Amino acid sequence: MPKIIIDNHEIEVPEGTKVIEAAEQLGIMIPRFCYHPALGSVGACRVCAVKFLEGPFKGVQMSCMIDVKDGMIVSTTDEEAVEFRQYVIEWLMLNHPHDCPVCDEGGHCLLQDMTISGGHGMRRYLGLKRTYRDQYLGPLVQHEMNRCIHCYRCSRFYQEFAGYFDLGVMQSANRTYFGRFKDGILESPFTGNLSDICPTGVYTDRPSRFFGRRWDYQRSPSLCINCSLGCHTTASARYREVVRQEARYSEAVNGYFICDRGRHGFHYARNETRPRRALIEGREVSTEEAIRAAREKLAELVKSAGPDSIACLGSGRSGLETQAMLKQLCQEKGWQGPSYFMDKSLAGKVKTAVSRLDPELAVSLHQLEGSDAIIVVGADPINEAPMLALAMRQAQRHGGKIAVVDPRPIFLPFDFTHLPVRPDEINLYLSALIKGAVDPQLIAEAGKGAAEFYQVSPSLEIVADSLQEKASILAQELRAGQKVVIVCGTQIVRETTPALAADHAQLLRAAKKQVGLFYLLPQANSFGASLLTGDEVSFSEILEGIEDGRVKSLILAENDPFYNFHDRQRLDLAIEKLDLLVVLDYFESAAVKKAQVFLPTSTLYEGGGIFINQEGRLQAAPKAYLGGISIAQIGGGNHPPRVYGRDIPGGEVRAAHQFLTQISNGDQIEDDDHTQRSLLRWIADNITPLPEIPPFDELAENGMRISSSDNTPPYFAVKWQEEKDKGNGLEDSLEIILTDWTFGTEELSSFSPPLRKLERSPCASMHTKDAARLGLDHGDKVKIKLDEGDVEVDVCAEENMASGAIVLPRHRLLEWQKIKSFPKFVSYEDVKKVST
Amino acid sequence: MKCNVDLTYAMIPKELKELLARQIAGIEHPRELVVDVMFAVQDHYGYLSDEAVEEVAELLDMSPLEVEQLATFYTFIYREPVGKYVIHVCDSVICWMEGHESLLDHLSGKLGINLGETTSDGMFSLLPVCCIGYCDRAPAILINKKVYGPLTIEKLNDILERLRAEA
Repeated sequence: MPKIIIDNHEIEVPEGTKVIEAAEQLGIMIPRFCYHPALGSVGACRVCAVKFLEGPFKGVQMSCMIDVKDGMIVSTTDEEAVEFRQYVIEWLMLNHPHDCPVCDEGGHCLLQDMTISGGHGMRRYLGLKRTYRDQYLGPLVQHEMNRCIHCYRCSRFYQEFAGYFDLGVMQSANRTYFGRFKDGILESPFTGNLSDICPTGVYTDRPSRFFGRRWDYQRSPSLCINCSLGCHTTASARYREVVRQEARYSEAVNGYFICDRGRHGFHYARNETRPRRALIEGREVSTEEAIRAAREKLAELVKSAGPDSIACLGSGRSGLETQAMLKQLCQEKGWQGPSYFMDKSLAGKVKTAVSRLDPELAVSLHQLEGSDAIIVVGADPINEAPMLALAMRQAQRHGGKIAVVDPRPIFLPFDFTHLPVRPDEINLYLSALIKGAVDPQLIAEAGKGAAEFYQVSPSLEIVADSLQEKASILAQELRAGQKVVIVCGTQIVRETTPALAADHAQLLRAAKKQVGLFYLLPQANSFGASLLTGDEVSFSEILEGIEDGRVKSLILAENDPFYNFHDRQRLDLAIEKLDLLVVLDYFESAAVKKAQVFLPTSTLYEGGGIFINQEGRLQAAPKAYLGGISIAQIGGGNHPPRVYGRDIPGGEVRAAHQFLTQISNGDQIEDDDHTQRSLLRWIADNITPLPEIPPFDELAENGMRISSSDNTPPYFAVKWQEEKDKGNGLEDSLEIILTDWTFGTEELSSFSPPLRKLERSPCASMHTKDAARLGLDHGDKVKIKLDEGDVEVDVCAEENMASGAIVLPRHRLLEWQKIKSFPKFVSYEDVKKVST
Repeated sequence: MKCNVDLTYAMIPKELKELLARQIAGIEHPRELVVDVMFAVQDHYGYLSDEAVEEVAELLDMSPLEVEQLATFYTFIYREPVGKYVIHVCDSVICWMEGHESLLDHLSGKLGINLGETTSDGMFSLLPVCCIGYCDRAPAILINKKVYGPLTIEKLNDILERLRAEA
């Protein structure tokens, strides 16, 4: 490895490291605009000039363009280099407006920093400044082109890194313009990153515009809980509300970027509609009164009907503390549950995924970027977990081959091969592709289990004629790949798929490949929920209990079954029948409105929390602010009321786990830290794979990977004949597939006003052939008969999806909750055109 | 821009579109043809309208922005209507040494337009161009892709009159 001396400090770095990077490792920040670690070097801005004193290069050179070589001696402080940089700054500032006081970037602006540090203080250019017309770029990003210094970071991120082509660079030389062909909403779901990477104020965060300077904000490390990836964010709070969220660097998880759903998905915590006061039968009461009411009613029920007349429902969006408290309570009190999943089959799939995630197979997003073949089964990255798509794009840019086996009309911002097959065929196709990709010789050497599994696996012969060519090319590509990752979803797949994905990962490993296994889970902390799930009742069993009168009370801890459960009719009847519904939550859900007793809980930002992402990475977010209703809301836009008190207005919210302790044990609660500590103690003692949880700041950068594998021996016996038979008799039916969209389906982000502007209106996607058979055109309105009534929706006829399926988004504007059980099939007669 | 050119837009004629589609289908990397396709469409309309950019993008399976990135980069792609005769005045160093500025002043005065403008009768557009490789004939200009030079004020007057007469 070459050694270099920079400013009299020596450092040894790997071959290919740029001088600017080596300097950074020494703690010397050479000025930069166009260089960005994720985007690489282009040498466009000329501000990273340093002087090479010895070695293969001499004189002033760009430190971002030159690889470290042995014998190099570099000075960043040499007079000539300093003068050079000073001129560069001066010319970059020629046209830059002096609008820093009204610019949102002011205060964290790289250009400001570089101007000051470059020593450019006096303006010599007295001519006219170049001006541009700005564009409307949608609700998330504000455009202000006059501030541009032409570093090209935006177009390089947008096009090269993220793979979208509606923003770029136009014109040339002094007129160079960064923007869109025409005004309009940016198409990429990663646009917020433009605000993060722009070194000045050309792109700024639009929803939080003019709200504060960076130094005004309480900035704290936080986590995104809008999908299961657990990307790192920085939350900015001011005047008692979170107003902005930015990407926080994490080497293992999200790198430098996050998606727009994660960035703007936090508004549920600040909306005016957020319930801040405890309610009894819809009447605002003091928290203490509500707690007492809940406790007394629960005690009465225990006396009259026994402790198992009370059931608890948690969710995958709560932190581990709340999930664990629920479990602890149920165990101690003999209550039923908790159940964290709406659906027994989903719980089973998540459980399988968690228990089959062998630590040697689990890969992070960062590791996935380095793979050279990725096979995705039953997952729609851009809609379910957008940052996964961005990571996959990096793999593809480095030459990786990507295959997606999924019935839905998959879009990804890069070239990939899509095998659109029905959900019941996913297992077969996965198996056939992997079988075609491994060397039988190596499998034979790997032992009996692998060889037998290989033997009975279906081969490429099962692939439909129309997909034969694609599939065999894919198998060859997979065979050539050395680092292969299987990405497996848990939502639309059959119950056997997660285990089968793990088995095939083991098979690839037996074939001497470097293998990764990457599951997607339904919610941010589904992993935690799954670790806490033993043989407790499922939600559907709780409903049965309510129906036959055994269960009389339901405690919903941060779960809204009215949003998440697929059978609304049954749910409505069951909730009606309850003697007591206690709801703990932090947004105005349908369940909150039906609660006899409601307790307002704190969000991640006010309470902090531990979340385990889909790869078993335990991560923690500290509190971002102390809580309370925002100044803007309490003052109605004016000065806040001049009333003196010791409490924070609206500060009655507490962490759900505290309320749970109080409604079960008593008013007295210890201080926050104590409850937190004792809870973590309980978790470490009772939840098997979870170790002692270190202090939060030790988890800040990359969290802590936990091993959840239960060492299930690989190669379970798949009844392949049954798998093959499953498709029989389905010719005349269409499977209803419920799916996520990037915007509009995920529960938390559906409360975000800026993201609502990006939602597409719901539509039912079906293959053009199916649409033709039904006499439907793209855009027709259609009525689909589900178990409990019709759902009316527009038709999207798509070429790139499986036939025999209707894909419906779990959209907040679509009443899809009319399904008794999954998988759900409808006949062609059940789908009728609505004449308008 | 001042002009009397008819701005009404028509779709690319079927024959041209088919011809272009055939050419595009015949090569391995269609986007290599983007400049040729832009020229073909521009030759048909006289300039590349917004709609034409979108049609070129569609033909080549690119986004309109990707086409626009190139269309606005190249000097000889006109994104706005131009006159019957497009005069490109070379402003690079040799022509500048040989009197580019007085030539430009004269043209501007005679036509009554500045750089980037078109005469109100739609006859002439005046645009700058960087070195066109006719340094041996400096100062040089291009009129509708034909080079003229070395020029004097008199020669320029003759050329303009002849063009007006021919029009």
